[in-house]
Amino acid sequence: MSSMIRTGDDRLYWRVQGERNRGLMGLFAVVAAFLALYAYLFPGLLSVAGVSKFAQSWLPLALVAMAQAILMLTGGISLAIGATVSLGAVIAATTMSGYFGVAGGIVAVSASGLVIGALCGVIAIRLRLPAIIVTLAASFIIGGLALLILPRPGGAIPGWFSDLLAGNTPAALVLVFLVALLWKLYLATPLGLSLYAAGENPVGAYRAGVPVDAARIAAYAISGLLSTLAGLFIAAQTGSGDPVIGQAFTLNSIAAAVLGGVGFLGGRGTMRGAIAGSLLLSVMINVMFFLGFPPVAQYVAQGLIIIGAVALPQLTARFRRRP
Amino acid sequence: MRKSMMKAAVSALCIGLFTCIGLVTEASAAAKCIKGDRKAPYTIGWANIYSVPTWMKQTEGTIAAEVEELKKKGLVDKLVITDAQGDANVQIQQIQSMIDADVDAIILIAGSSTAPARVVADACAKGIAVINFDSLVDTDEVTAKINTDSNEWGDTAAKWLIAELGGKGKILVLNGPAGISVSDDRRKGANAALAANPGIEILAETNTAYNVAPAQEAVTSLLFAHPEINGILSLGGALSAGAILAMDKQGRPMVPITGENARQFLELWKEKGLKSWATMQPNWLGAFATYTAVQALEGKDVPAFVKVPLPVIDNSNIDGYLARAKDFPADGYIFSPYDQKLFDELLAAK
Repeated sequence: MSSMIRTGDDRLYWRVQGERNRGLMGLFAVVAAFLALYAYLFPGLLSVAGVSKFAQSWLPLALVAMAQAILMLTGGISLAIGATVSLGAVIAATTMSGYFGVAGGIVAVSASGLVIGALCGVIAIRLRLPAIIVTLAASFIIGGLALLILPRPGGAIPGWFSDLLAGNTPAALVLVFLVALLWKLYLATPLGLSLYAAGENPVGAYRAGVPVDAARIAAYAISGLLSTLAGLFIAAQTGSGDPVIGQAFTLNSIAAAVLGGVGFLGGRGTMRGAIAGSLLLSVMINVMFFLGFPPVAQYVAQGLIIIGAVALPQLTARFRRRP
Repeated sequence: MRKSMMKAAVSALCIGLFTCIGLVTEASAAAKCIKGDRKAPYTIGWANIYSVPTWMKQTEGTIAAEVEELKKKGLVDKLVITDAQGDANVQIQQIQSMIDADVDAIILIAGSSTAPARVVADACAKGIAVINFDSLVDTDEVTAKINTDSNEWGDTAAKWLIAELGGKGKILVLNGPAGISVSDDRRKGANAALAANPGIEILAETNTAYNVAPAQEAVTSLLFAHPEINGILSLGGALSAGAILAMDKQGRPMVPITGENARQFLELWKEKGLKSWATMQPNWLGAFATYTAVQALEGKDVPAFVKVPLPVIDNSNIDGYLARAKDFPADGYIFSPYDQKLFDELLAAK
């Protein structure tokens, strides 16, 4: 009997997935085109070293895009992501070469991300305060903490750890897939299942017995964790810590998530979209370099590509709807 | 027996020493990172952290002008420019792209004093000449670093102001952004002189971007809080111009103020008849870095660190600078003149 239900579930599952992918096909096509263009301009991309180095530049953005997307799915947003990335980087750079070693550093970075994220979540959700205000204030506090821990760039990451994560191996690419897989698993847990419901229709979800507040607070904690882990990776990639390294990630994470079709109002969007959005933002930089665009043209081109990628699904959808 | 062992040890030591000396002379034949397999004309990569500030635009102007000169000599054929839009992570990605594109030299203003260290070392290992100037990276894996001394900047400024105030008075300290090495170093440089003069009381400090508007805003609020101010230790950029505008708007008497060669500051200095002192981060460091890269690629030895002396502007020579003001943007920096002779002298100085 259970197998019967399973097959029925499967069919429904794939139909839902197909429905969710449809809006993203345009973005996937754009990303694929850019990747192909990049490989054409720089054939060295298609080597282990080439893929490794590119994945290393992309991974931090992919992580913060996911950190932002998980909040946006619950109807929240975070302006503290950049500061949290910086904090993760300075904690990693100050702990890993000390007494506690790399393992201790990873624990410290993860714990600080979870705690900071959960605190933001508790304040925003339990006190019913606007997420944008809470996380803006948090960004000042977290950014200040990072500057207190490391007033100027410094610290160190053991060389072997840097080489492991950001050497000539595609470890970064493996990590992207690993985090995406963990996300799938999380969606299968009760809290993960509640995530979309809490974002799309919080009142309805609450009446149906969904732990709305818990799902949202958990999303904040996971978002904090992903952000500090992005900082940890940057510290490993650069071999050191910088208290302001993450600043640009706040806006870029929102850009990547929105580009990936994640809506601001909650419940709309997919993680694969956010990841694809971050990939587009990252590959765009390299493509423009190899096309030899001067910096001024790069600003314009970047804006056009983003608008194009957001507009494309809308346009195709409108085209499809016509009789 | 023991004697012969000693002898053996001594001779081994001697051989060791000779080998060392041999290695050192061999290494000094070419500059660091240079393998000698790259031939002119070269492709130069200019990895900028942020192209929007006027100082950067002027610096890029000197690089482009130098590249034109070197093109005429057949030494350079292409200049590739990237702009990381202020993001140190993007800068790393762009330097990686320059390595992938196999440029011959990378000229770099770092967006972080630590972050690009590993990618820069990768470039060096590939035989790319890396010349780092202005904002430096904490690594030795570069061909050369070129800069003025930020500590000395702060030290000289503080000493001038203290002497001007007769060792006694209430001052404001205007800093660049927090967490940035240059602004941190300038401030640290001022510490010793300030500590040695307990008569100098620091009323307040600011951290703002090196721009007029934020400095003016910050000083305006400080002026309300402090009715008596005897001097302003401004550590850079257009901060001094912002401070003067703020005081002028409130009708406060002008006080001795330090600063940099921002055209707006120099013009206000003259207009208000101030007694001031200024130095500069010369924009031609960009042209000099380009020149140094090509020298290194041509097999010449270049010093690992070139310390460029800080030019000083005071009441005795400000007119000379203002006479050339029209050649510079209104919100730009009037830098001291430069030529190849100056570059050769700087490279020859040890």
